[in-house]
Amino acid sequence: MRRFLRMAGLSFILLITSAGCTDFVEPNQLAFVIGSGIDYAGDGMIEISHQIAIPSKLSGSSQGGGPSDSESFIVVSAKGRNVFEANEKVQRKISRRLMTSHRTLVVISDELAEKMDLNKMFDKLNRDPANNQRDLLIMIKGSAKEFMKIKHPLEQLSSIATNKELLINGWNHYSIRQFMIDYAAEGTRAVLPFLQIDNNREEKDKVHLVLLSGYAVLNKQLKIKGILNDSEGDRAVWMAGRGTFQPLTIPWKEGNGRLSFRLTHLERQIHLANGKNHGNIQMTVKAQAYLLDNTTELDMSNVNNMVMVKKYLDERIQKDMQVTFNSIQQWGPDIFGIGEYYHRKHPYWWKSQRDDWDENFKKINVSIKANILLRSTGTSGGQLND
Amino acid sequence: MILSASIGENEAYLREQFHHCSDFIIRSFKLKDDTLLFIAYLDGMIRVQSVEENILKPLIMGELPDGLDRLQSLTEMIRSNWLPLTNVQTDDNTEKLLQHILQGSLAVFVEGEASALIAQVQDFETRSIQEPKKEAALRGSKESFVESLRTNTTMIRRRIIHKDLKLESFTVGKYTQTDVALVYVQGLAEETVMTQVREKINNIETEAIIDSAYIEEWIEGNSFSLFSQVQNTERPDIVAASLLEGKVAILTNGSPFALILPITFWSGLQSADDYFERFIYVILTRSIRYMMTFISFALPAIYVALSTFHPEMVPSYLMIGISTARESSPFPTVIEVFLMLFVFDALQEAGVHLPNQLGPVVSILGALVIGQAAVEAGIISTPIIIVVSLTGVAAYSIPRYSSSLPFRIIRYLLLFITGLLGFVGFAFGIIFLMIHMVMLESFGRPFMYPIAPFDGKRIKDILIRYPIWIQNGRNKKGQKK
Repeated sequence: MRRFLRMAGLSFILLITSAGCTDFVEPNQLAFVIGSGIDYAGDGMIEISHQIAIPSKLSGSSQGGGPSDSESFIVVSAKGRNVFEANEKVQRKISRRLMTSHRTLVVISDELAEKMDLNKMFDKLNRDPANNQRDLLIMIKGSAKEFMKIKHPLEQLSSIATNKELLINGWNHYSIRQFMIDYAAEGTRAVLPFLQIDNNREEKDKVHLVLLSGYAVLNKQLKIKGILNDSEGDRAVWMAGRGTFQPLTIPWKEGNGRLSFRLTHLERQIHLANGKNHGNIQMTVKAQAYLLDNTTELDMSNVNNMVMVKKYLDERIQKDMQVTFNSIQQWGPDIFGIGEYYHRKHPYWWKSQRDDWDENFKKINVSIKANILLRSTGTSGGQLND
Repeated sequence: MILSASIGENEAYLREQFHHCSDFIIRSFKLKDDTLLFIAYLDGMIRVQSVEENILKPLIMGELPDGLDRLQSLTEMIRSNWLPLTNVQTDDNTEKLLQHILQGSLAVFVEGEASALIAQVQDFETRSIQEPKKEAALRGSKESFVESLRTNTTMIRRRIIHKDLKLESFTVGKYTQTDVALVYVQGLAEETVMTQVREKINNIETEAIIDSAYIEEWIEGNSFSLFSQVQNTERPDIVAASLLEGKVAILTNGSPFALILPITFWSGLQSADDYFERFIYVILTRSIRYMMTFISFALPAIYVALSTFHPEMVPSYLMIGISTARESSPFPTVIEVFLMLFVFDALQEAGVHLPNQLGPVVSILGALVIGQAAVEAGIISTPIIIVVSLTGVAAYSIPRYSSSLPFRIIRYLLLFITGLLGFVGFAFGIIFLMIHMVMLESFGRPFMYPIAPFDGKRIKDILIRYPIWIQNGRNKKGQKK
């Protein structure tokens, strides 16, 4: 017993003196960075704007939640040559230690992407373990700083609001980590959600809603090569294998009403169209469709009608997909991961292509084939007859 | 010393020995044939009615049987079944005689006899058998032990009707002369354990054994461990079940708690109800209990480590919530948790010692002062109240009070080292705890058995309780598998 006590005492002293990590920080000594915006500040400088939660202003659940009258966050910004330097300058303006581990959103402005080397800038976000790699990374048209200042009518912290908006709409493949993986991979190019501030709302205060306006397509050097609009973006994401679910409304033949579906289990498969020719790719997109709205004359309890609808849906999607694909192919960046397909299945051929893939991608001949499974036609068969 | 043949000398000797004992009574009388005799006893310790009916009446009123010479030993005569009592003996040793009188026997002295007749007519007021208070079970026997050793042994005897149930008797304590019984089932109990226990009980050199707890402290292997290596119980059914598992029980006169040994860590976390409810339900309650046990010593430390050392490990919303609640707290989290734990234990200590009528006062004061005022004043933050009360409740979910005590201490130790070092300290604390528990033994049996050392066959009653017939290694029809 004596011996045990002596040993325990000794190792305890050693533990305290040698570890020396008495670095505890009370929660009220921390400034929780919820979102960060990065802008171009001219002269090769960047401006970083942190959205920091004010805990005392956040009403707890006991008071019923919802936004309070006063601001529940502040935006502090500073300029610097890189992310770290700007960060340190922000720190000097704040009485609490910046805590970036709870960040949910990183916003970069389109101007920044054009004028700076994004890949160099992101080193800090990738290398420092204090950064949450699950942060969503989005691009904004205009000033990221302004974006950070926008209040959300529903949520207390607008970064969290944007984060939720993206996730609830199935845009959940755009974390910093995913971005880094895309950047590091040779056979695929990054695509970022592209947001726009909705200025059309007639509100007197600074409450705006943020519109998910599409996707920014980046090339190997992380420069914007094009912006996809909402519906194009949905299709591109599906073809890139990152879609989860999406709504689809198509007009029926000869303008007789519309059919609305919810598409789930979005998949895409890539293979060579015919055995030997490496330049010909066939891409099959698959999904399960649930018919949710039917304003046509069709009685969906009739099997023939179902077959007809499926056929029509396939053709329609196939056509739209092909159009979208071709336009992106014109721009050059392979956001679909076709290069990755070559890399894995035809490595020798890929070696000859990879160095100038953005150009070579344009020469690939891709045909899209759709195969939609009509899972459900809803609970009613025909139309309600008066 | 040997008794004298003179009745006067004997009386004088007894009166001298029991000088100033107001409850000591000597009654002398003369028989019809002029024989002098007296009886001596302690008032209140004997069955008066039985003595009058069975001893005094035949002696004084009754005729002496024919064919017996008066001066032939009267004591001899009485021993020859002329007294209608079950336990009668003679003795001429004064020491033993005194002992017998002290324990409630009646001594009869006859003129001209150098020995006394001792009739065991011991009887005194005892508490009747009541429902167990400390280890209440929803289902199962409602009997609990009482202070009388004999009553207690009969309760066990009634449950194990087998000649192999043995009761070995010891007398311990210079002044208390406490009867201690070592109970075991021959053939099931391990001989090595028994030898150890016998030796340890024989080696007890003490003035007094007031309660079985005294015995426990004397025979415990490692008195400086946080964990008790002897289990105490007031339920005869638990004792019977333990005996049949090959354990040994020690019953102490004057104590309604039996000691059971050797025990393991796990037996402290099992409740009687575990065996009285259907096993599927028991699996649920047991897993809850194990989790609560962990919470009862680790939660305050984990909270401190997470909120002050590793805030990045907490989900964002939760962390912001904690930070909102802690915005105005003047103390560091560790100090706050220490304070609250202290107040909690203080309240508990106060509540235990208060008379029943005053109990609500403590709870009202505690709830108002701590639950509300401290939070509203901004001295204590709400998450800490939640953590501390959950910890406190968790400790109560451990079925045996004495098994929950170690965790109440470990809670403070872990909190201290975690407050210094964060999760590093927590890990070190747990490692030390583990080392200690694995090294601990209860009468030669490893404390963590059958987890460490691992024994797959005996594990059927540890984490989950298998149905009893599987534990016995049989199929439903009772056949050995």
